[in-house]
Amino acid sequence: MAICPSGHTSGSDDFCDTCGVLIPGAPRQSLGLADPDPASGPASREAGEAEEAEACPMCGTPRSGRFCEVDAYDFETGTVSSTAQFFAEPLQPEQPRSQPSRPSRPEAPPPRAPEGAAWTAVITADRAYYESVIAMGGPDAASIAFPPYCPERRVALAGGQVRIGRRSASRGIEPEIDLSVPPEDPGVSHLHAVLLARPDGTWELVDPGSMNGTTLNGGGKPVDVNVPVPVGDGDRIHVGAWTTITLSSRRPE
Amino acid sequence: MSDLPEFSIRVDHNPYLPAGGRETHAIVTVTAAGTGTDAGTDASVPASPATEAAEVIIIDASGSMSYSGKMAAAKRAAKAALNVLRDGVRFAVVAGANQPRMIYPKGRRLVAADASTRRAAADAVSRLDAAGGTAIGSWLRLADELFAGHQDAVRHAILLTDGKNQHETEAELDAALAQCSGNFVCDSRGVGTDWNVAELRKISSALLGTFLDVPDPKDLEADFREMTAAAMGKRVTDVVLRVWTPQHAELRFLKQMVPVVEDLTGRRTGTGMIGDYPVGAWGNEEREYHLCVEVPAGDIGRQMRAAWVKVVLPGGAGEPAERELAAGNVLIEWTDDEAKSTRINARVAHHTGQSELADAIQEGLEARRAGDEETATARLGRAVVLAGEVGNEQIAGLLDRVVEVVDEGSGTVRLRQDVSKADEMSLDTRSVRTVRTLDRGGQDGHPRTRATRPTAGEEA
Repeated sequence: MAICPSGHTSGSDDFCDTCGVLIPGAPRQSLGLADPDPASGPASREAGEAEEAEACPMCGTPRSGRFCEVDAYDFETGTVSSTAQFFAEPLQPEQPRSQPSRPSRPEAPPPRAPEGAAWTAVITADRAYYESVIAMGGPDAASIAFPPYCPERRVALAGGQVRIGRRSASRGIEPEIDLSVPPEDPGVSHLHAVLLARPDGTWELVDPGSMNGTTLNGGGKPVDVNVPVPVGDGDRIHVGAWTTITLSSRRPE
Repeated sequence: MSDLPEFSIRVDHNPYLPAGGRETHAIVTVTAAGTGTDAGTDASVPASPATEAAEVIIIDASGSMSYSGKMAAAKRAAKAALNVLRDGVRFAVVAGANQPRMIYPKGRRLVAADASTRRAAADAVSRLDAAGGTAIGSWLRLADELFAGHQDAVRHAILLTDGKNQHETEAELDAALAQCSGNFVCDSRGVGTDWNVAELRKISSALLGTFLDVPDPKDLEADFREMTAAAMGKRVTDVVLRVWTPQHAELRFLKQMVPVVEDLTGRRTGTGMIGDYPVGAWGNEEREYHLCVEVPAGDIGRQMRAAWVKVVLPGGAGEPAERELAAGNVLIEWTDDEAKSTRINARVAHHTGQSELADAIQEGLEARRAGDEETATARLGRAVVLAGEVGNEQIAGLLDRVVEVVDEGSGTVRLRQDVSKADEMSLDTRSVRTVRTLDRGGQDGHPRTRATRPTAGEEA
């Protein structure tokens, strides 16, 4: 009989009969992702699809720009290394997980929203930002109208990461800050940017390769892809055609 | 039953959950394969004692069947089905009206198929007259009575109707379905355009069968032959999908996705961590299920069994002990690697899209019937987008006859004003028929999605 970390007696010696958790001492399972290895993908099948839009070799999502919208695979360099370097080291399933793999990001307890302050993202339709986008021109500039009605929305920042994007039910993308709520901002990628909680109670912003880029505080130059930028109280994040997300921190009273 | 197919289970999902993540989705593919003869396609193959079968053919003989050549077509179809029954299969033919009546044999029992009983049954079918009303619940009750005592056989009924269930109350039909559910599998067919799609959907759903529209009576014969052949190919019955989930976890839903969308969540029997879901009779075939489980959040690095799915054959008269025929694990791990945890499993995405497609069509048509053009336009427009995304060309073609597509990418459509009843019923009926994820040979099934049209801003 095996005993699980919660003290349940289990008949099976890999995962607990009661709570499903891996039994201490049992070998960790190599879970691997179901996606095919790009190097060993059957060439014949790829050839048949060459006529269609190129698909991301990592996750199969059709290409819509330089970076895959789902996993930020870089179609031009054929790598995801910058993403992987940033987000975490590649998972090594056989390696015991007791040691933090990155000193700068403690593994236990899991990253949580910075404590001591309640963070809120205030989402608005920002006419000044919209006009700067339109002024830059582009083939669609004339066809995008500023929404006549767009009430301010507030989303509490919770958890270790908060995704900014447009929900896609068919692709299972459900960002915490969902900009598909009417009036939908057409310039936002499904996974546009991510806010990551830092242990010191602040946040950093990462754009994993959105189609139209992300700018900060009225600036004209988009943040570099996959380079985390510290953000805090009062910072304004501009995405899409008119959306500004203002971070707000309030100390508990 | 020594001739059991060999079952196997495959699980496709993204095993990685982000910190605090609680919900996991998996596509569970159950395959039954083996050396069993595909007896249904060849009536000369001798019956294997290991897979006894019982078949009841129920033909609507209400007055309306005498119009538009429906009765003649139904008779030809019933005879075609009789010809596909292999020797030794216990069978009967029933005619339905306000009350059911035995066409063959005369008494309320099943007889073994052989050359002479098949011929005698065909002669009896030829003499069938159409008169009276429609009371489907009473027809099913007679079938249930006929199947009693054949519990070890694969029990299958074919129901053909052309009209609404007007001569008994909805409650009577529901009671009949409750009584028959689990006792036999019933495939239903609606001929013409006067039957009720929701009604046949309810019947086939309760009796774990398929249902289809047959707008043109002349297509009935081929359909009956095919349906009976499929029934003859079933080699094991009363199969159960058993799902274990951990303590404090919740099984959010279990849906059959292939061959048709069927939500099994409410069919659960059993309490606590183990639930059983009936999945009927199986031949050599493959079905796919979408499972969603919510578990308590775990620490980064923790691995967990979020679900344990098994194919179980409950004990019966001849074989008292239940048998586990296959098992598959849904394992998960919490990670802080965003690149892993946000990855979308292509097959989960594909089936999520198909599920939403079936809902969008049924809601859109319902709104259209209710005169709510705005909702109908929005939902059917959404269906056009989804049908394109999941690559369901049959449904896209049927949608085309109900709405005029202005822009497929954005789902801008106009309702057509002169939609034929048959086209609307066909779309409604077939809304739940899915397409498999293509590329099934590979490790992973990437749905062949049409490249998502870039949104306005993204073209900039």
